[in-house]
Amino acid sequence: MSQELLELARGIRGKWPFAAHYVRVNGWRMHYVDEGTGDPVLLLHGNPTWGFLYREVIGPLVRSGRRVIVPDMVGFGLSEKPAREHAHTLDGNIANLVSLVRQLDLTRVTVVCHDWGGPIGLSCAMSNPTRVRALVVMSTWAWLRPPAEFHTRLFPWRIMHAPLVGPYLLGRHNVLARRGVYLSVVDRDKFRREALAAYDAVLPDTETRLLTWVWPRWIPLDKDARALARFTWLETELAKSQLPTLIIWGREDEVFDAGTFAERFKRLLPHADGPHLVTGRHFLQEDSAPEIAALIASFLDRLDRQGG
Amino acid sequence: MAGVTVVPRPGTEGKRLALVLTEDRVGHYPEFRDYFARVFDLDRLGLAEPGFVQAPSGLTYALVFIGRSGEPFPSGVEVYAVIDALEPIDDAAVDSDLWAILEWMIAGVGAPWSVGDLQETGRLYRIPAASTGS
Repeated sequence: MSQELLELARGIRGKWPFAAHYVRVNGWRMHYVDEGTGDPVLLLHGNPTWGFLYREVIGPLVRSGRRVIVPDMVGFGLSEKPAREHAHTLDGNIANLVSLVRQLDLTRVTVVCHDWGGPIGLSCAMSNPTRVRALVVMSTWAWLRPPAEFHTRLFPWRIMHAPLVGPYLLGRHNVLARRGVYLSVVDRDKFRREALAAYDAVLPDTETRLLTWVWPRWIPLDKDARALARFTWLETELAKSQLPTLIIWGREDEVFDAGTFAERFKRLLPHADGPHLVTGRHFLQEDSAPEIAALIASFLDRLDRQGG
Repeated sequence: MAGVTVVPRPGTEGKRLALVLTEDRVGHYPEFRDYFARVFDLDRLGLAEPGFVQAPSGLTYALVFIGRSGEPFPSGVEVYAVIDALEPIDDAAVDSDLWAILEWMIAGVGAPWSVGDLQETGRLYRIPAASTGS
């Protein structure tokens, strides 16, 4: 059991009753939840969250007859948090997920992606297509620059993770997991009451928050971006994909706005179901978990009926 | 900016260097690396000695530059408060000083980066030092 899990406050543990599982991926300890039986559904979080984001999605999907697996990316949640910047690469994160999928020997997987869970999960899916049954995308992206107009702005995005500013704001002050997520939900009072402490608790020290400012620096913004080749490959592979896909988006999402991003996924994957709009900003699971769970379950039920 | 000045190496007898901030990728935006190289003459001095600045609290900070094979120098920087050897740091004072150092750095890097954007970001995220207008 990790130190963070031991110390999670009683109020948080009540919302997170799931057994902890661990696996070594590329040498790092990865925490994951593994509940239920049936075809697997892989729920992937982004920055700066962890599996807790899906706490109200897991139960309904399990009750609908699915095996639900929720990993914490290495560097977040209850997984190991390497303290060296160079330990965190996009390809390394993808390989971590591939390792999990292969060690659990998952097949017929539905990959559910949010934020950085998109580039990571979709790359895992495209590089292991025979293991994947379907895709679900929420408030994410999978193509070259710019990911969003928001990410090109100095205020507040680029200056927030600028050299030394990132370690100060996101490291010393944990602003992304605290105020950042708070500002990116619709019902802020509910979030403050029920969830904020859970995101804060698993990033207790400056060193544990490293990935919160490293991941923003992996968003490709110019021709010298480190992730340029990976995103070029991902967009090309996705455009060829015929995997059944469901698009769910937050109606109030101002960062990855539905009109731009959900529609671009629809153009990339014209056969996709949706976009289905639900109440939510970027962290739409905080506002619409039951609706999201119902949409995914209904989508998978249809695939079952079609023999997919 | 905000009372931060480059100073000569201070006396270190009876002092210790307390690590307060680490940046592994100072060249993420190359103009930041260029700024430090210019201010501290790093192209000439290399790893020979840290840079030192004095911050508004009166404390001196050592900027220890990190080299990494295959990357332009410096690749990273560690910020240390120079404090009395057996005394704990005053975390609030250090936090305000660090904010002032960030303002000094952004002002030095120059356009399109602006201290106004930094301050607005600090206020958005309710950073105590930003609200007091250090």
